[in-house]
Amino acid sequence: MLTYILRRIVLIIPVLIGLSLLVFAIARLLPGDPIQLAAGPNASPAEIADLAREFGLDKPLPVQYWNYVTGLVTGDWGQSIFTRRAVAEDLKVYLPATLELVFTAMFLAILIGIPAGLTAAVYRNRWPDYMSRVVSLGAISMPRFFLGLLLQIGFAMWLGWLPLGGRFPLTEDPPAFVTGFLTIDSLISGDLRAFGITLQYLALPAFAMCLSPLATITRMMRASTIEILQQDYVLTERALGLSSRLILFKYVLRNAMSATLTVIGLYVGWLLGGTVLVETVFDWPGLGLYATKAIVTQDFMPVIGVTIVIGGIFIISNLIVDLLYGILNPKVRYE
Amino acid sequence: MINLTRRSAIAAGTASLASMVLGGPVDAQSRKILIIASSQDIPNFDPHIATGYSASMLLRNTYDSLVRVEGNPPNPVPHLATSWTVSPDGTEYVFKLDPAAKFHDGSSVTAEAVQYSFNRLLRLNQGNAWMIQGIVDEKSVQPVDAQTVRIKLVKPFVAFLQVLPWVWVVNPKDVEANKGSDNGQTYLRSNLAGSGAFRVRRAEPGNLYELERVANAWKQGGGNLTGAIWKITRETATQRLMLQRGEAHIAVDLTSEDMDAIKDRPNVVSVIEPEYRTFSIKLNTKHGPLADVNLRKAIAYAFNYQSLLDSGGYAKLMTGPLPDGIFGHDPSLQVYRTDLAKAKEYLAKSKYPNGGIKLSIAHVSGLEQQRRWSLVLLDNLKQLNIELDVKPMIWPDMVALTRSPEAMPDFFCVYQTANYGDPDNIAFAAYHSSRNGNWQNPVYANPKVDDLIMRARAETDEEKRKALYGEFQRIVVDDTPDIFGVIEKRKLALRSDVQNFRFTPVASNAIELFPLSLR
Repeated sequence: MLTYILRRIVLIIPVLIGLSLLVFAIARLLPGDPIQLAAGPNASPAEIADLAREFGLDKPLPVQYWNYVTGLVTGDWGQSIFTRRAVAEDLKVYLPATLELVFTAMFLAILIGIPAGLTAAVYRNRWPDYMSRVVSLGAISMPRFFLGLLLQIGFAMWLGWLPLGGRFPLTEDPPAFVTGFLTIDSLISGDLRAFGITLQYLALPAFAMCLSPLATITRMMRASTIEILQQDYVLTERALGLSSRLILFKYVLRNAMSATLTVIGLYVGWLLGGTVLVETVFDWPGLGLYATKAIVTQDFMPVIGVTIVIGGIFIISNLIVDLLYGILNPKVRYE
Repeated sequence: MINLTRRSAIAAGTASLASMVLGGPVDAQSRKILIIASSQDIPNFDPHIATGYSASMLLRNTYDSLVRVEGNPPNPVPHLATSWTVSPDGTEYVFKLDPAAKFHDGSSVTAEAVQYSFNRLLRLNQGNAWMIQGIVDEKSVQPVDAQTVRIKLVKPFVAFLQVLPWVWVVNPKDVEANKGSDNGQTYLRSNLAGSGAFRVRRAEPGNLYELERVANAWKQGGGNLTGAIWKITRETATQRLMLQRGEAHIAVDLTSEDMDAIKDRPNVVSVIEPEYRTFSIKLNTKHGPLADVNLRKAIAYAFNYQSLLDSGGYAKLMTGPLPDGIFGHDPSLQVYRTDLAKAKEYLAKSKYPNGGIKLSIAHVSGLEQQRRWSLVLLDNLKQLNIELDVKPMIWPDMVALTRSPEAMPDFFCVYQTANYGDPDNIAFAAYHSSRNGNWQNPVYANPKVDDLIMRARAETDEEKRKALYGEFQRIVVDDTPDIFGVIEKRKLALRSDVQNFRFTPVASNAIELFPLSLR
């Protein structure tokens, strides 16, 4: 198992190099001139050339790429052409905000989706099953930004229970920055009130974001469980007189989880790359908005940085899922 | 000993969590903090680099200028300068500074600081430098004494006082101490060296900027605000909901649909005012078929102005090159309105009497209004047997196209906002030939128009100046370098507890905090 883990980790390095090369090439070869935009409409050709020199964009592409990759290793992820802020510094701020949202959404999706899928399978073709199917279909069909607006109107405007958007009350100072996760930072600082407020602000965007993975997990869990329940060994266990609870949680759940785990791993990456709509609706200052702004303005250093981070997290989340297979299913051995 | 079962522990945890969750945030009103929802970030605090309304909001509240702009129509009023004199030929200004004016570090705002600021702006040649470029050089600003500064213009410029509100005065001591190798640009990008009534308390790029009132600020009076938050809210619908719910006091980027939705809502006040912001379609007068003035006139007559207006929301049609309400604008000017018979008459006089050509238009991708207006043009040109290739492009690529007449498309969509309330702003930027190769005026050149613009910017007699602009407008309309489109109205809304808000049609969404109060 250890050899497998090490091998997988080593394999990540060429994947990341390939990713950086690909993204760098695409970002630099796209039509358009970010330097022109950054220099402003009144800039003279000499000023534009100066700015290009300042950012090293007057050098050949291979040299630019080499400078970038060596910078990545030393923690210099380049600078935004527009804000002149270091990309690594920006990522430190925006990434935890998005991760907090994605992890909360995935936590909710798993917390609700797995029991819902199990219940639907156990009560197949009865009302819990019908209900879960209707809810899943609705959840997977509804665009997240639209759901976000509905949630805002319902829970913020009509009921007044939750805030419209943002991460923390505007007029209050957030907990001191340690991890960038406000939930964790508020607990570290021992401020339970701040923790509660953070949850208030997380609730609507996380719910809007969790519905799609929740629906998929529910459906996947239901299908896998139904398949497992029809296996001969389950029949044998029943014949041996084992309790339904024991069969379900000890023998069925673990086997049914394998396929669902794959979906969970994929969804973490998918949600990370697709937060922008929810972040826009809820004013969540995260990676999605940062990346979108960079894409629109062709500010390619942030674009490359965000892509590499998302790619890296995607790879790691899938590695974790692969490792979990071995823990859940004794048949899957890696040695 | 407490007997805590798992179930009771969960129940207790849930109850305490619920109590926390149901506990509301601290009331902002107790500190009189004004919250402004806007979609635009503030990427740079440098007063001689940053532009855009969000940066202007920050700068006009954290820095001071010699004069402020106020009223409708906008007028320059005393600020750092308590009074000034102008020489009869309009080339020399002498400003008396307020002796009470202090930078945030407590040092006095002196004539040397004014000189330093002008020269830094000219040296960097970015931001608002274009407003004084060619009018002031590095020898122009001279201190007479600590509180008196003389500015000798390189050439007469009647609108000089109108541009001064956008020339911010920095603390030279502070900038010099952090000058580095880039004239202090790195330092001022995220630090202030100003004398304004507010300073930055918290900056979270991409999220919010919090300003707090400077204790013992030199300028006394004003409203009761203790601070303000510029909250970046990308979605205008969310801005509107924040306003309705009282989570924001002012929303500055609302759409026409948002304004309709908040009409008659309790505690919300709508502001829909004409502003000097125009939309027009520039024509390539130098290269390609549109170099033919008769074809340009034919298209100007074929264009459906009512469709343009209908899809423009809160807007009105332009009458000529200058926006309505600005000094010198001639409301009785004869401009093009849809007339297919005349369009065909001019087409017959052109080199393309039967049409049969294909033209191209570039608009900013993502700007729905520009897309719609391009489609209006496409539809109208069919009546002249002319095809149109609609090209959505990102703004930097469009700007790059304006560098030469050959690269420029036949039509080019442009929004233009006046930075100062004088016709020179638009006349010079959009119609003077020295601006060719620039997006505001890529190709249009007429020596007579150039002459009128230069004479008008130097003319101190109002009536004569007005006559010069009248002549300017008639010639430009006749030359047809643009399809004159619409003047968009400024759309913003505020809570009814915001007091002392006065609309000014220049930089109206760069809210000035000093006079405002919260009830």
